[in-house]
Amino acid sequence: MSEQLNENILTLKGLKVQFRVGRRLVKAVNGVDLNVRRGKTLGLVGESGCGKSVTAHAIMRLLPKAGFIPEGEVTYYSNEGTVDILKHNPKGKTLRDLRGRQISMIFQDPLASLNPVYRIGDQIVENIRQHNRVPKEAAMKRTVEMLKQLSIPQAEKRVLDYPHQFSGGMKQRVMIAMGLINDPELLIADEPTTALDVTIQAQILELMQDLQKKLGFTIIIITHNMGIVADMADDIAVMYMGKIVEFGSKREIFLNPAHPYTKALLKSVPVLGSGSNSRLEPIRGNTPDPSEMPEGCTFAPRCDFAMDICKTDPPNFDVGGGHMSRCWLCKGGNGQ
Amino acid sequence: MLKYFFQRMLLLIPMVIVISLLAFIGLELTPGDPLTAMLSPDQMSSMTTEELDAMRESLGLNDPMLIRYGRWVINLLKGDLGISVMSGSPIKDIIKNLLPATIILTMVALVVSTLIGLILGIFAAIKQNSIVDYLSSVLGVLGISIPQFFIGILAILFFAVRLQWFPAQGRTDIGLNFWQSLKYLVLPSFSLGITLTAALMRHTRNSMLDVLNKDYVKTARAKGLPEWKVYTFHVFRNAMMPISVMILLRLPMLIGGAVVIEQVFGYAGIGNRLLTAINASDYQLVLIIILLLSIVALFASVLIDLFTAVLDPRVRLGSSKNQGGA
Repeated sequence: MSEQLNENILTLKGLKVQFRVGRRLVKAVNGVDLNVRRGKTLGLVGESGCGKSVTAHAIMRLLPKAGFIPEGEVTYYSNEGTVDILKHNPKGKTLRDLRGRQISMIFQDPLASLNPVYRIGDQIVENIRQHNRVPKEAAMKRTVEMLKQLSIPQAEKRVLDYPHQFSGGMKQRVMIAMGLINDPELLIADEPTTALDVTIQAQILELMQDLQKKLGFTIIIITHNMGIVADMADDIAVMYMGKIVEFGSKREIFLNPAHPYTKALLKSVPVLGSGSNSRLEPIRGNTPDPSEMPEGCTFAPRCDFAMDICKTDPPNFDVGGGHMSRCWLCKGGNGQ
Repeated sequence: MLKYFFQRMLLLIPMVIVISLLAFIGLELTPGDPLTAMLSPDQMSSMTTEELDAMRESLGLNDPMLIRYGRWVINLLKGDLGISVMSGSPIKDIIKNLLPATIILTMVALVVSTLIGLILGIFAAIKQNSIVDYLSSVLGVLGISIPQFFIGILAILFFAVRLQWFPAQGRTDIGLNFWQSLKYLVLPSFSLGITLTAALMRHTRNSMLDVLNKDYVKTARAKGLPEWKVYTFHVFRNAMMPISVMILLRLPMLIGGAVVIEQVFGYAGIGNRLLTAINASDYQLVLIIILLLSIVALFASVLIDLFTAVLDPRVRLGSSKNQGGA
């Protein structure tokens, strides 16, 4: 595993995640196949509850107690070798060594993500010293430098402050600094700006892009906001009811969407510069209860183009150039 | 931090004054006066009203209440706690003899029940929904709902009478024979502490589970920390905040419980003495003991404030967004 690094940094094959809720079994992720290209940004989009966040937690093996992975394959390709993530104990040495050093994750709510009783500098230093044998002073110096890179004013003083002394946007910067402090290969950002207001949102996303250019890590950004993926992503995976229904480059997804769900999604949100002055259209109906999934294509009950064949599960059709769509309309080439 | 502490301590002074005044007035309103305690009914009936009145006058009992209160406080400040009318001995000596025994009893109960309660609670939280968890939950409900004196009686019945492991009654001085005195402590401190153990166990479990669901615990795991570090540094520290408040809040309750438990076990302590003093209308002694107990309770409340400030920077620094140092 050395001559040439795999083009992908992470691949998912048939990943399934389920939750035991009382006696019910909730199937949150139902066979996700995904390739994450090295050094690029993948946008994972979908409505609330479609399983995008669960997928990310499954990659990190940070699922809550009730969640488990019945089948699937998650492979991480790094310069240190290939790790079959699902084969290891989530609390074991191999994965702990990966988390925080090779793969970092930042969460939706920066206000809750930092421990209220420790100084933020110490919380970042903890991440450095978990993975590197460095003295405390050196680690603190590095922390200050990283916070400066994230444009936190008076970083030398601020490392001594507690989380409650920071605003939401500043806390998310701290979280990003913590995630990037060990120079990871992959950063998973789970709705990093959902809890922030719009102006701060733009700043944070811009910072992430700048740092990506500088440091060269790969980003998986999870969001329900089409505007954010339009801005950041190279590739886009559209998720619906625990499956990737469409995958392609940003250009393909925005200009040539193949799956009716993607089309509906694009019509239902305003995208600056998409050139359309048409009315926004909401998607008909509601997402089905994940414990009572419809047969066949899960989007069929809400789809304007539903046909008889939609009662059977559509496979992944190649629409051309790596652009994949899980819709029977795409069976014979381009599904317009 | 020091300033914060002194502020709290200063606030204690007016509170102690108010409590002492209230206790003084309360006892003033109860029927009977010290004379009825000092003299036997026979003596009383043999004396004339004038003689009794002269005696009251000489004891200063006829002065207005506020003056008597003032005199009492001044004597207190001078270190003169007065004389127990029942036994005739200085209250200072009584307190000196009995208070250490009660302090030892409550402290042993507090420390042992805190340790057991914390350990069981943490275990129940880590092994949530296991047999250990269910068992501790049943024991917790039992421990909270059965009154202490009843547990004390049961303990005497089983461990002292049936099994004869421990003595049923009394105590010896800790200085005389350490192991022997420890034997006398086991049953009373167990009965006294069991409510706290049970409550603490449930509280710790719930607090731990609450914190375990917090996002910052996920952050800690996302850093690749091993589980023991996640638990000790991120879960336990935060879970301890409500728990420490509860432990200290229980301190005055333990002393209240000691009054009952000392009675059950014939343990010569201040609580036991309080009951006899009340029965004998020994006002001076009752007043001093009540004052002592309320000072302990007040002190516990200051300790609570102090502890939360130490554990939680949000309390220590206020929730302002400025960069003021600690």
